[in-house]
Amino acid sequence: MKGGGRPELKLLYRGAEADVYRAEWCGQPAVYKLRKPLLYRLPELDNLIRSQRTVHEAQMIHQSKLAGVSAPHLYYLSPQEALLVMEFVKGERLKTLLLEAGLTKGRVAALGEEFGRSIARLHAAGIMHGDLTTSNVIVDGDVLSLIDFGLAVHSQRLEDQAVDLRLIKETLTGAHNEVSKQFMQSLLSGYSAVLGSAKAEAATKKLAEIERRGRYARVE
Amino acid sequence: MRGNLKVLGIESTAHTFSASLVDERDGVLTNAKDVYMPPEGSGIHPAEAAEHHLSVAVRVVHEALERKRERGSEIDDLDAIAYSMGPGLGPCLRVGAVTARTLSLSTGKPLVAVNHAVGHIELGCLLTGAKTPLVLLISGGHTMVVAHSNGIWRVLGETLDLTLGQLLDQMGRYVGFASPCGRKIEEAAAKSTKYLKLPYTVKGNDVSFSGVLTAAKRLIDGGAPFEDVCYSLQETAFAITTEVTERALAFTGARELLVVGGVAANRRLSEMLETMATRHKATVKVVPPKFSGDCGAQIAWTGLLAFRAGESLPRVADSVVRQSWRLDTVPTPWRS
Repeated sequence: MKGGGRPELKLLYRGAEADVYRAEWCGQPAVYKLRKPLLYRLPELDNLIRSQRTVHEAQMIHQSKLAGVSAPHLYYLSPQEALLVMEFVKGERLKTLLLEAGLTKGRVAALGEEFGRSIARLHAAGIMHGDLTTSNVIVDGDVLSLIDFGLAVHSQRLEDQAVDLRLIKETLTGAHNEVSKQFMQSLLSGYSAVLGSAKAEAATKKLAEIERRGRYARVE
Repeated sequence: MRGNLKVLGIESTAHTFSASLVDERDGVLTNAKDVYMPPEGSGIHPAEAAEHHLSVAVRVVHEALERKRERGSEIDDLDAIAYSMGPGLGPCLRVGAVTARTLSLSTGKPLVAVNHAVGHIELGCLLTGAKTPLVLLISGGHTMVVAHSNGIWRVLGETLDLTLGQLLDQMGRYVGFASPCGRKIEEAAAKSTKYLKLPYTVKGNDVSFSGVLTAAKRLIDGGAPFEDVCYSLQETAFAITTEVTERALAFTGARELLVVGGVAANRRLSEMLETMATRHKATVKVVPPKFSGDCGAQIAWTGLLAFRAGESLPRVADSVVRQSWRLDTVPTPWRS
């Protein structure tokens, strides 16, 4: 980071792609997302991927907000350093909430419904998040914000919408198996409410098709 | 059930016919195998591979059962006979099933059906001492990141089209090698340090290699040196694989990464995974090269675990084969 000395950075989360730090930006609580060089990747490949993804992520966050989805405000971007500074979104990760004991069915349904609505708003705007795991959703009361748009892409293809939904399903059955069925059901109902039942059904049909295409999947 | 179970395992999902003897106390006792080699430039022809398996089955089983010549066959000491029920090539699987069935009928020993992919994982755990690792299963049939949860090995990410093994094999075959081509690609790649750009496709936790293969073939068609293409292919495909593995590692917070399957033998990939895992303070355990490819030991050991947990087929007639049988549908009572 240039000038003024480095603010005090506190590591929040060591992701696969980037390290996320908690710090301040002009007095506001902020998150610094730094895509550090990944040593296993060839430098020429690595530098390109990191700077491209950083710029791209900023664009996608901005466009998602225009689409009506709650996402962090952007403060600063440096492609050379692969650094993005943004608002610190208050709340709890959806992953943590879903693993909590004593989670009521009503709460699971409300969270699923709201998550589905957010995804539908993105998809209606032609934005595929690309990384819809439960780690990338921050819940603050009734407000649900999406973070980590590092793998987001523009697409109008039904296939890509379905791949987006498939990742959530994969994450749910993999990490939150107890609530996965109910959560997914509510999610699809919220998804359908915003996107319209015809488009939502087309996406879930495609999702089933992709699952059948999976290696060694039982063909029904 | 007696104290030290002894099980014979038979593997025949693809190009390898293998039989192995394991027991609870010492693990793998024997691991005999014979691998079908397709003609130069081609892949596995299922019927011809099955022919091969038929022609070597009796000898391979004998080798597995006779640890020491003077002791003779240990067939009467067996507690159960395990075979790979699937997934794999139908004609090949049937040879293994018929062999197991015959042995079971002639000795009266119970049959245990094993999922080949679960076999790779459980043998990997035995040989490396991994307990409940995050698993990267990479072979000709699978490219998956898997973790155990609620009684099942669950898939966190996988390939949407080709497996890593297929990618390497199809690249090799394009220039005239016969499958499996992994080692030849690795040797060629080691001679180059020139990176040619190839598509880099990560979709969430999933990977896609079909675009990489097409682009690599085009480079060959355009006259690029084979060594440079192999180097670039490995660097790209392995970085993609390492990236999704890292994502799963960060997501699960696992402390152990187990690498199993035929492609686990590739040193460049292990090196990349090691570098990645260090950042997350996780240890990488790679199945020994001798047991990375398909082998009877993976079936025998998993069969032993299943039999100890009370599993066996009620009737010989149940010993069918399943060409499509995802590992995330297989109960693992021995892990509860």
